[in-house]
Amino acid sequence: MSAHGPASHQVSVSLRRPLVYGALIVALAAAVVASLALGAVKVPVSVVIDTLLGKEVTGPERQIVETLRLPRTAEALAVGAALGVAGAILQGALANPLASPDVIGVTGGAGFGAILIIILFPGSIALLPIGALAFGLFAAALVFAIAWSGANRGSTGKVILAGIAVLSLFTAGTTGLLAAYPEKAPSAIFFIAGGLTSSGWEEMQAIWPYFAVGFVAAALLIRPLDRLALGDDVAASLGSRPHLIRLGAAIAAALLAAASAAIAGLVGFLGLVVPHVVRMAGGTSSHTFVVPASALGGAALLAAADTLARTLRAPIEMPVGPFMAILGVPLFLWLLRKVV
Amino acid sequence: MSPAPIQAAPAQLEAERVEVEIGGAPILRGADLSLECGELVAVVGPNGAGKSTFVRAISGLQPFSAGAVRWSGRVLPGLRGRELARLRAFVPQRMPVPSGVLVREAVTIGRSSHLRPLRRLQGEDRKAIEAALERAGVGAFAERPLTTLSGGELQRVQIAIGLAQEAPVLIADEPTSQLDLGAAVGIATLLRGLADEGLAVLLVVHDLALATAVADRVVVVAEGKTVATGSPTEVLTSERLAEIWGADARLTAEEGRTALQVAWLPGGVRAA
Repeated sequence: MSAHGPASHQVSVSLRRPLVYGALIVALAAAVVASLALGAVKVPVSVVIDTLLGKEVTGPERQIVETLRLPRTAEALAVGAALGVAGAILQGALANPLASPDVIGVTGGAGFGAILIIILFPGSIALLPIGALAFGLFAAALVFAIAWSGANRGSTGKVILAGIAVLSLFTAGTTGLLAAYPEKAPSAIFFIAGGLTSSGWEEMQAIWPYFAVGFVAAALLIRPLDRLALGDDVAASLGSRPHLIRLGAAIAAALLAAASAAIAGLVGFLGLVVPHVVRMAGGTSSHTFVVPASALGGAALLAAADTLARTLRAPIEMPVGPFMAILGVPLFLWLLRKVV
Repeated sequence: MSPAPIQAAPAQLEAERVEVEIGGAPILRGADLSLECGELVAVVGPNGAGKSTFVRAISGLQPFSAGAVRWSGRVLPGLRGRELARLRAFVPQRMPVPSGVLVREAVTIGRSSHLRPLRRLQGEDRKAIEAALERAGVGAFAERPLTTLSGGELQRVQIAIGLAQEAPVLIADEPTSQLDLGAAVGIATLLRGLADEGLAVLLVVHDLALATAVADRVVVVAEGKTVATGSPTEVLTSERLAEIWGADARLTAEEGRTALQVAWLPGGVRAA
């Protein structure tokens, strides 16, 4: 009754995932080299590689790569990977293809926190990442407190409805503040559109623990999420508590997305779309594949888009968010048309 | 090649006067059950009687408000998830089917309660997964995606996922209710065979002829209570079928074949 399982199909299934991994790693390496070499000043690739290997390189090029572009590239990789992973684990945990860090309130809260800092403490812009992080996590905590209490606690519908409601609340707060203080709008635009800055290692030094905890938690959640994909009953048969898996995934995603917003503002789209792209390309929704592949894909996409955003009209830097959409949407639509 | 037997420690299940309330409404109002290794027990009863709620409660999937459930002598609310996963496997009626996941991967997920976080599969895990695939009869299509399977094949995969847990008790909630005749016969043969090999099998089932054929004992649940327990032919009498199901019907069993003879229409004849 199974003799018709075509052999070619089996081959493509077993080869497809390594192929996608290989393509993602090549794309990531290319994006990193481009990100380090390109900009207002072009640095030859050989100099970039020598600098990375710690070889003797003299002149301003070394300084440009080491103190300006390396931290920025690291930020792009961390934020891209974090948003990709956050989207992947949220879509898995909530069994909803539309899930992204937006639906647990993080982006709404982070935006509000950043605008609050811009208006209240215009002199200390260094506080902006902290404001975004704190309010991003606060908004997520609000969603969790509502969604994981009472009847049906932790059910998918309840989480998404609470998330959308909290998101609306904070978005209203953000637009309200901007309407009341229109003169602050220009400085807020860059944060809202989402973009990286060449500001050295300072932000990463403050924010990296949140990334670290988020990534470790996501790695630990891969197996529980695969169980959950076979339904709450199978997960419970295997000794898991479905609503706790969902809570863990939501907390990990909140940490990753809030830390990302602190570094790069509101980079939308990536968290929603990258997991879908790797699922379609890999032909599987297994989290063992989708979570690491989303990390690679998100990192490559953001590093590439950031390079474009600061080279196309150099020395003017444009926010990376729109560029990422320009790069990613055609690819996504092409896959959507082909696969689904 | 004969498949390796499913390894399992001896175990026992006892449930006494279990009561369940959902949203303040009493669903189960005192249900009892016992189950031993090598035994297949079928839970039968009308729609809404509380059969599924009963097996979900004793499986630890549904909190109960009163009563006692002991797994190998250990009280249920005190068991951690991972311990419970090694005592019983619960096979739902129909699981969601994630895209692109292969049969072998799904059965591997069934092994995950034996794995430490982030640890890879060990030799014994691979053996258990192979044994589960073979025993459930899904080895031949182990590399196919779940989305390409028929209902009967998918039900076998669900049972394989349960077998990979290597728990001594397998609980299946209406595994045949959406299957065609041939597929249902296959599942019945599989479950009876597992019991003969030493597993304790608990089956929620609507088909009384099937229950009579495969079960050592049947437990009749009606209006949230167990009303009878015993061998199928003793318990499922015409009087009881009339009393509990409100149907004029008779179970017959001869030469290994069972049948439910039903008067589908009043008086057994169509109006002219």
